Amino acid sequence: MAAARPRPAAPGGKRRGASSGGAMEAAGGEERQLLIQRLKAAVHYTVGCLCQDVAEDKDMQFSKQTIAAISEITFRQCENFAKDLEMFARHAKRSTVTAEDVKLLARRSNSLLKYITQKSEELVSSNMEQKERKKKKSSSAKAGRTAEEQEAAVAESEDSNMA
Amino acid sequence: MEERDGGAGGFRKETVDRLLRLHFRDGRTRVNGDALLLTAELLKVFVREAAARAARQARAEDLERVDIEHVEKVLPQLLLDF
Repeated sequence: MAAARPRPAAPGGKRRGASSGGAMEAAGGEERQLLIQRLKAAVHYTVGCLCQDVAEDKDMQFSKQTIAAISEITFRQCENFAKDLEMFARHAKRSTVTAEDVKLLARRSNSLLKYITQKSEELVSSNMEQKERKKKKSSSAKAGRTAEEQEAAVAESEDSNMA
Repeated sequence: MEERDGGAGGFRKETVDRLLRLHFRDGRTRVNGDALLLTAELLKVFVREAAARAARQARAEDLERVDIEHVEKVLPQLLLDF
């Protein structure tokens, strides 16, 4: 019996090897399929919300199939976007996709490019604002004294009233 | 413009991140925060454009309900424009 076990291990081993390789691939594939399903559902939800906005705007109704179709199209378009973005970043010898890459993605329509560029500038200025706030906080923390902190707090609240 | 929530306004950062990384060929490729927000905006414009164009097509046919055939009609130009 003990001898019998390792024996079938040889052909069984091949089978096990093949099936475990297959099982691992299948498991990876299954995980990927699961991820795809979840992402499709997330996209579908947001597409539904956005279509609802447009429906109210235009006083029209969207059929469920329409929303599903737009959702599917959007999901597929993401694949194109992703591959392009990766290539743009690689072309610039980077491994991180940046705002510049996304702007390049929006090049086909002038109005789209303008819109995205504007959004990008808004992000840059809001990032700078955040940095300013952090600097103020850290400088008042370094000062450490309660009196100075109170002064800084008063100054900040005055600024917000003026803004 | 601080909408992190993707329900009403657009796509969530995390969703966009996973969507993009799903299709990257290199496992090391990442997307920075600003690029994620911009991509989310781009996708939002894409969806709204698709919906608006389909609605316009349906209205041009004197209909009140946008059906899949209207999407089909506007799809080629939409993809060319993006």
